[in-house]
Amino acid sequence: MLSLHPRPFAFSFAGAAVFALATVASSFAIRWVIDNVVLPRFEDGPGGGSVSTGTVVTGVALIIGIGVVRAVGVVFRRAFASEGMWRVAETYTNQVVERLVRQPVSWHRRHADGDLVARAGVDTESTVSVIAPIPFASSTVLMIIVSTVWLFLTDVPLGIVAIIVFPLVVVTNIVYERSVSEHYTRAQTQLGEFSAGVHESFEGVQLVKAYGAEHRETERLAVLADRVRASRVEAVARRSWFDALTDMIPALANIALVLLGAVRVDSGDLTVGEFTSVIFLFTLLVLPLRLIGYALSELPRSMAAWTRIQAVVNEPVEPDPHALIGEPGQGVGVHLENVEFRHDASTGPALSGIDLELANGKVTALVGPTGSGKSTLADLVLGLTAPTAGTVSLAPGARAIVFQEAFLLSGTVRENVEFGSAVSDDAIWEALHRAAADDFVRDLPDSLDTIVGERGVSLSGGQRQRVALARALARNPAVLVLDDTTSALDPATEAVILDRLRSTLDATVLLIASRPSTIALADDVVFLSDGRIAGHGNHADLLERVAEYRHIVEAFESDRAGTQ
Amino acid sequence: MSVGFTSSVETDEGAVATIRRGLAAAPVLRNGLWVTFALAALGSAGRVVVPILIQQAIDKGIVGQSSGQPVDVELVARLAAIGVVAVLISGVAFRQASYRLSVRSERALYDLRERLIGHIHRLSLADHGEERRGGLVARVTSDIETLAQFFQWGGMSWMRNSALMLIVSIVMLAYDPLLASVAFVVALPLALVLRAVQRRLVVAHGEARERNGEMLGAVAEVVSGAASIRAYQAGDHMGGIVRDATDRKARQQIRAAWYGAFLFPSGEVFSVFTVSAVVVVGVWRGSAGGLTAGAVVGFIFLTYRFLEPIAEFTEIIDQTQTAVAGLRRVLSVLDMPVGPPAPETPESLPDGSLAIDVEAVTFRYPNTDVDVLRDVSLAIPAGQQVAMVGATGSGKSTLGRLIARFADPTAGNISIGGVDLTIADPFELRRRLVVVSQEPFLFDDTILANIGFARPEKSADDIAAVIADLGATEWIDALEDGVHTRVGERGDGLSAGERQLIALVRAGLADPDVLILDEATSSVDALTEVRIARALERLAAGRTTIAIAHRLSTAARADRVLVLADGVLVEDGHHDELIAVNGPYRRLHDAWISATSL
Repeated sequence: MLSLHPRPFAFSFAGAAVFALATVASSFAIRWVIDNVVLPRFEDGPGGGSVSTGTVVTGVALIIGIGVVRAVGVVFRRAFASEGMWRVAETYTNQVVERLVRQPVSWHRRHADGDLVARAGVDTESTVSVIAPIPFASSTVLMIIVSTVWLFLTDVPLGIVAIIVFPLVVVTNIVYERSVSEHYTRAQTQLGEFSAGVHESFEGVQLVKAYGAEHRETERLAVLADRVRASRVEAVARRSWFDALTDMIPALANIALVLLGAVRVDSGDLTVGEFTSVIFLFTLLVLPLRLIGYALSELPRSMAAWTRIQAVVNEPVEPDPHALIGEPGQGVGVHLENVEFRHDASTGPALSGIDLELANGKVTALVGPTGSGKSTLADLVLGLTAPTAGTVSLAPGARAIVFQEAFLLSGTVRENVEFGSAVSDDAIWEALHRAAADDFVRDLPDSLDTIVGERGVSLSGGQRQRVALARALARNPAVLVLDDTTSALDPATEAVILDRLRSTLDATVLLIASRPSTIALADDVVFLSDGRIAGHGNHADLLERVAEYRHIVEAFESDRAGTQ
Repeated sequence: MSVGFTSSVETDEGAVATIRRGLAAAPVLRNGLWVTFALAALGSAGRVVVPILIQQAIDKGIVGQSSGQPVDVELVARLAAIGVVAVLISGVAFRQASYRLSVRSERALYDLRERLIGHIHRLSLADHGEERRGGLVARVTSDIETLAQFFQWGGMSWMRNSALMLIVSIVMLAYDPLLASVAFVVALPLALVLRAVQRRLVVAHGEARERNGEMLGAVAEVVSGAASIRAYQAGDHMGGIVRDATDRKARQQIRAAWYGAFLFPSGEVFSVFTVSAVVVVGVWRGSAGGLTAGAVVGFIFLTYRFLEPIAEFTEIIDQTQTAVAGLRRVLSVLDMPVGPPAPETPESLPDGSLAIDVEAVTFRYPNTDVDVLRDVSLAIPAGQQVAMVGATGSGKSTLGRLIARFADPTAGNISIGGVDLTIADPFELRRRLVVVSQEPFLFDDTILANIGFARPEKSADDIAAVIADLGATEWIDALEDGVHTRVGERGDGLSAGERQLIALVRAGLADPDVLILDEATSSVDALTEVRIARALERLAAGRTTIAIAHRLSTAARADRVLVLADGVLVEDGHHDELIAVNGPYRRLHDAWISATSL
């Protein structure tokens, strides 16, 4: 991970080394000041000995100078560690998104939206959370090595007492991690269950109210919340002892050092300055030592997140179904030959034996009951999914599809029509006109530059559809698929749009239709039933020949309310 | 899909006021907080043992050693023994303090969650719009989690470190008021530096969160628009948008990190100045004022101890800010008024079939200035089957909701069985009047559990009887696990029609006297359609039924049709009569016909 952005980490490690050495040096400074300034001054009882001003200034300069160097080390260590960390996170997010935009639609359909966003977002942050403490940990290690050597050089028995503490703190850390992590993991799982329960209960709030079940539901969720609480309390019961122990062990060791130090001073093996500086250095070491365990505790979470990111990044990009599309004969817009599609190998085919030829420039309605495979067929025609068998050929030129749910970016109307390719203003207005969207766009506060909000929230459903349609038309497609696009429009607007399409566009159009007024606008009808084409011809013809088609159209007429 | 975008909606309320209100809302936490603080103070006392010991050892044991006197090792050992006892006692006190705080805060947060859920369930349906749901869920889950995080780390840290600073100050003052004052004066500017940088840090962190939200928004667009992006080959374009967003986020995070990096060692920098001042003043005074070498050395240690918590404060300040913001959002939900208030002396409804009277009802949604219903009056005799029709926004669904008392009219009265809704026993009302949405909600559970939701006390046999009565036995038996079939999230494992059928059986189990049906607009396959129609007919038989109709056929079958337009009841009569007069119903009817025929 560090090799992704080596520069900031190099600075950070340099800062860490400065910090470590300055920490050890600061105990030298304290020793010098005590031996040369404080003790001489208090040496001879009341009235005291005298110390030259120069010595005092030197001592103060030593303390301040080393302290400032140490602080600079800290700033470098922390700032550059964060800089490297966030740059690595950025790189990971970009790597994941790079894959997301390369993978075909079929791949996206197999992955939950929320999960993919989590991998590009929260997982990258979890992964890099382990990075920030690395320079810090390295400086702790360096500090321990240097100070151990220095302690031994100063006084062997004191050195021994001091270093006994290091493994003791590490062992306490490990024992703690073992005994506590399972409770926190369990609490996390239970929190997930609780959140899911809350989401479901609020989603069904109308039902809850309708049956007066507010109390019951609150109680049910409270039980879930209580499990989270119980697990956490269990963890805390252990953690609080750990916290107390990591406080007590160094303090007790410190007391032992004072006692032993006094003995060594007594025997003349140690000066008072040395004695104080050993204890001072030890105090400075305690905090990093306690934190190192905390830093390591991020490791498992980070690894799990990293694995999830790598799973997306290392997955090979599936072949683009676009590449498989052939070119049909003269005068043919769309040609499907013996096409079959299965969602996965174990299920029956969603579409089978599809032979379909649409003449250039014709408008064809695709009709069929729910689940008959209309949208799947639309995806196949446009090369969004590859057929499991058979071939798809399309007339050369641009292709465009407008989905039932219009997808708008949160940017401006212009950006939504352009959608990544440069389109002149005139062409944008022309496309908006053909989509019957020019009037309302002109009335928007900033016209083409009006921001439509996340998913186009500031527009009505019908307006969103028309902007999405304009996006398709701006490309002057040779093949255009409208997946129930006009269902959010009133029949009059729908008719205006189809009329303009016919007069200005030489495209082969496939319309998925769910109401008679849409069917009426098409030249031909393809009737799909149970994944097969059950009829292809004009409306009157199908009404007469295909009983199921007649049935569905009659159902529309007798019972279905269209727009209101 | 909902992604956790952080909202930047903040009120003017200060942090202290929010915390005060939060404590008032969580009595478990507030009670005994001083005991916890006292324990934390005792726990922090262990940290001053070593400096005191060093002072004692130097002054009473070691000093003079250089002039040939022996060190009083025995005295140092006695002092060390006292030190050990003090460390052990304070360690146990510290453990108790952090355990107490955690247990109580977890209990308080649990209580808060329970209250919040109960409150949200009682909010009016107008506050439960789809666009607000994510927010409401976040209040109960992630916002409370920010508080839990705070109490796990930051809360104890505040308590312990402020106790430590307090105790160290007391010890310093006890040793030598003059040196203590010098130390405080030199350290004072640190407070100003902290304030200035910390403000920028908080702003920088807030902006970083916003950039993160924008980045997640851009990623979410790439994911949810995958089909459109492929269809228009706009992958590179969208990749570029996300790269810009991630870069902006990284830059902002790094800016915040620099502030944090400068803030972190500020305590240490000030300690070296303070220590220097202590040394200079201590040496200048010498032993004149009763000052000893041990006291000066002890003071050096105490000064470091005094400023040690600063580094930790700078680490938890952001967490604290986040927790306060979370608490503020939680409290703002608890401040939202709940739906219709419960009557003080609930009146029970008469037995048997119930009539409905609507008198001069006007309704306006809160914070809007349009009357959705205007002076609507009507009387529905017990047992009548009524269909309400009208265009979207005509007020027909609102009227249905008012009759079910999901909200109270702005003006006018509604009574059921002769009892005004505002004084009717709410529990009885929910038992005797049932609203069935035809785009019904199902829990991710079995069919049996979903039906049983209406009356948890009913047995599986009771449920089987209702299923048989409504003619759904054959369909359910054909499913793999019968009534034990799981329906999936929101009932996604079933078709729209099958979900409707379950909702009807659920209503049948409740056996209400009044039935309000909110019809679906989505289409259903022919076979299920037949089953639904049959179940509906049996369910409605003998009950006062109001159908909010989207289908022509429903209106045609009803005893009576009520036509609403712009919140006004414009026509009232049988389908045939209304067709005969060339009024609004006729026009609605014609529009239907033209949209559904060729």
